[in-house]
Amino acid sequence: MNKIIVSLIATLMVSTSVAQAGEVRVYNWSDYIDESLIKKFEQETGDKLIYDVFDTNELLETKLLAGGSGYDVVVPSASFLQRQINIGVFQKLDYAKLSNASNLWSIIKDHTNKYDPDNAYSINYMWGTTGIGINVDKVKEVLGDDAPVNSLALIFDPKNMKKLAACGVHLLDAPAEMIPAALKYIGEDPDSKDLEVIAKVEPIFAAIRPYVTKFHSSEYVNALANGDICVAFGYSGDILQSRDRAAEADNGVKVTYNIASEGAVMWFDQMAIPADAPNPEGAHKFLNFMLDANNMATASNYVYYANGNLASQKLLEKEVLEDEGIYPTDATLNNLFTTTAYGSKVQRKVTRMWTKIKSGT
Amino acid sequence: MFMTIFEPWNETNSKPFIEFRGVSKRFGALTAIDNVSFSIYEREFFALLGPSGCGKTTLMRMLGGLEKPSKGQIFIDGQDINTIPANKRSVNMMFQSYALFPHLTVADNIAFGLKRSDMPKSEIPDRVNEMLKLVQLDNLDARKPHQISGGQRQRVALARSLAKAPKLLLLDEPLGALDKKLRQETQFELVDIQEKLGTTFVIVTHDQEEAMTVASRIAIMDQGKLIQIDTPDLIYEAPSSVRVADFIGDVNLIEGNAQKMANGKMQIEWAESQPALIADSSAQIPNDGKITFAIRPEKIAMTKHKPDDADNAVEGHIQDIAYLGNVSIFKVRLTSGQLMNAQASNTRRLSRRNFTWEDKVWLSWTETAGIVLTK
Amino acid sequence: MNFRKYLFILIPYSWLVALFLVPFIIVVKMSLSDGVMAIPPYTPYLTLTEGWAGITNFFTNLDFENFIFLTEDNLYWIAYLSSLKIAAISTVITLLVGYPIAYGMANASNEWRPTLIMLVILPFWTSFLIRIYSWMGILSQEGFLNQFLLWLGIIDQPLTLLNTNIAVYIGIVYTYLPFMILPIYASLEKLDLSLLEAAKDLGCNRTQSFWLVTVPLSKAGIIAGCFLVFIPVIGEFVIPSLLGGADTLMIGTILWQEFFANRDWPVASAVAVILLLILMVPIILFQRSEQKQREAE
Repeated sequence: MNKIIVSLIATLMVSTSVAQAGEVRVYNWSDYIDESLIKKFEQETGDKLIYDVFDTNELLETKLLAGGSGYDVVVPSASFLQRQINIGVFQKLDYAKLSNASNLWSIIKDHTNKYDPDNAYSINYMWGTTGIGINVDKVKEVLGDDAPVNSLALIFDPKNMKKLAACGVHLLDAPAEMIPAALKYIGEDPDSKDLEVIAKVEPIFAAIRPYVTKFHSSEYVNALANGDICVAFGYSGDILQSRDRAAEADNGVKVTYNIASEGAVMWFDQMAIPADAPNPEGAHKFLNFMLDANNMATASNYVYYANGNLASQKLLEKEVLEDEGIYPTDATLNNLFTTTAYGSKVQRKVTRMWTKIKSGT
Repeated sequence: MFMTIFEPWNETNSKPFIEFRGVSKRFGALTAIDNVSFSIYEREFFALLGPSGCGKTTLMRMLGGLEKPSKGQIFIDGQDINTIPANKRSVNMMFQSYALFPHLTVADNIAFGLKRSDMPKSEIPDRVNEMLKLVQLDNLDARKPHQISGGQRQRVALARSLAKAPKLLLLDEPLGALDKKLRQETQFELVDIQEKLGTTFVIVTHDQEEAMTVASRIAIMDQGKLIQIDTPDLIYEAPSSVRVADFIGDVNLIEGNAQKMANGKMQIEWAESQPALIADSSAQIPNDGKITFAIRPEKIAMTKHKPDDADNAVEGHIQDIAYLGNVSIFKVRLTSGQLMNAQASNTRRLSRRNFTWEDKVWLSWTETAGIVLTK
Repeated sequence: MNFRKYLFILIPYSWLVALFLVPFIIVVKMSLSDGVMAIPPYTPYLTLTEGWAGITNFFTNLDFENFIFLTEDNLYWIAYLSSLKIAAISTVITLLVGYPIAYGMANASNEWRPTLIMLVILPFWTSFLIRIYSWMGILSQEGFLNQFLLWLGIIDQPLTLLNTNIAVYIGIVYTYLPFMILPIYASLEKLDLSLLEAAKDLGCNRTQSFWLVTVPLSKAGIIAGCFLVFIPVIGEFVIPSLLGGADTLMIGTILWQEFFANRDWPVASAVAVILLLILMVPIILFQRSEQKQREAE
């Protein structure tokens, strides 16, 4: 939640400024682009690119719902995008202006169809999975060599968690990620909106709650790399980043990212143009720029996330393309599932249940 | 009835209550008290008088245990006070600013010290009432210090410092914050209370009138040294030095050369082509003969013509007149060029006054009116 | 002409209205609305284009539903109470830590005082967030504090401090300490030293004169310091979310959740309105004590 505050303050400061012609304002997740692309865009188009960052979908959504955000391009996750489209937050894309759209990867397109049919309002920027990050040596030390490092049982079985508590476990402070995983673990539909079904995960979490060090959506990147914790349930890119940090620090910590064999949530960050964007022309220019295979490859090589651009794959570094944590094997890919956002009423119950899980109240 | 005169300092067998033996106090490089030795006797009302910065307050604070001497010893009742902690001595102090506790009522202020003593709790209210009566503040017991007048605060401070019935009470400029009229009234009350209780009082003041009014003896201090200890009348009439004479009251100082005459009196040459002054003094004339002749303005008579039978007479003209109501001070320029003050009572109405500006006058005094000072 | 006089009063009042009253009215209005998935995410909102009908429609659609909702789930009361408890405990700790510091500063020599005040104010020159982040570094399992204690041999296992209420208290006490020290220092500095001499003269030892004179006379500073800490800590959000664990329940966190996670601006506004009403109690008490203090002087 810490990053939220930083960006809250930052956005409050920038959101008051007024857009001018020749300016394209992009609002993307933090640490999510190779900054050389910003300069490149400005050089190619002659437009000034103003690039702001956020840390949570909730923050972006709040700005979009308040209206008049002043941004030309925003990058919500698909599940949030879906309901935002429904209330008219975005404008339809003009594919005539997106000459590079042919680069898009059909597999990802099929997945995102669920949220945005025919990609009428958005195109994929990056996608990833939610899985298990482990400090290999420590987990083996605690659970032995046959530790279920590829299974959701590692975090949802209290027997394992009791032992792991000694070396530290972080879970995402995001019910929309954690509840589907728990539902999958007990064999229910992970995308269920049925409150009775959702309620079944409460005892699962209650049983492991005493052994969870912290529910947090970003601290695990450092904690895992430093060796403060040995298990984190988190986003693929974050855990891979943590892996690299540990390798750079050469502190003896070896981090790996595993997609659970039971299946994992697959998520998509979609670029879209707000209905009230001051410069939709420039927004399309930016989208087309990012659809360029070269540019997208540059971005993925930098952030270690898979993208929805098939043409870019041949330009990717080997260690990105061949990393099964980033581009899973076909078998794993088939095992991934997607979720959609909760409606207001269900959302309230889910939030309430999550608070109860975390705080016991 | 036979009245004994209270003069323990003149009695050979009386034991001093307080004794300073070679006491010095230094603050860094500054010597505040310089090798002072003197005694104070029981039931005395002893005044420490001097200009600000002379060390009088330091001397008192040492008595109160708030400062320690750098050198020397102080005895109270035969005991070296360094051996008794401050809160165990039978000494209390009334502070210059009164130092009343603003968060406590008048009664609680007075009871403050009693609650710290071994007095049984049940007796404290009676003692507080007794003290309130003593300073005539019976109805104000429940007020806070900021709700009463300056004069009343002064009384509370006095009552508080007397509540524990100390053997010695120290008063640091106790009346300094009061206006003149109230100050004069309170001075007499202070004396009454002191006589009634029989407590030894030591007062620090820079106001010589106050010292003269209340004290049995006055110690004049200057630059950390005691320059004279005497009763008020002797301090006034027989100052031991020019400093004391100048500090106490108004005085005319004339520098001259003295010679002993055959009849034992003194002849003072003080200005060219002026007759020598005659003084009846037993002072030792220094070798070079240089002395200062001091004469108080009220001891000088002023006449239009030269008086026939005067021991001393000088001529001059009135340069200025200061009308003070009961008296007037005439500033007379002598023919020798010196300026001399003469005081006259205003027994007559202003319009009937004999003298006015620029009048030629003669100033005269007797042989015994002035003092010859050799220091 | 009184025009100038009115102008002088008008300027500060218009600031107050613009910066406090208008936002508050907007929040109150929002708290009486209903949440919807729309832009903006609540209804009704005032549409002046519809004229009088729009205004009446607006007012008839406001209700107290959200406030009733808050009473139905004990989460909110528990969070309010927990905030009050955390605020009260941290105020006491801040006082216990801050008073000796203020006392030491007031008793320091004149040449040292400006430096000491400077040292108290100095942390304000650094971003508050950076300072809290530093505490995360200090308190973590591998952090400075644990390393230091391990090195000293006081502990043989690293302590779990970060993400616990202990870390929250440390963060709050650290952050709000200057607000406690400065008013107490101001009252101690004014303290007439002759009062302490008088206390000594009347038979007090050092401890007695401290409790009987120094403490009562710095009461105004203690009260001011306590309120300056207590009031903002109730609504504190940053410190518990950065240093606290999942079980650190504070109303600021709940408010965040309502606003961002549930997108329920009306309920979030209702939580904020009640928080403000709760804060009014200590604020009024504080005002009263300040007024009493002024009258006494």
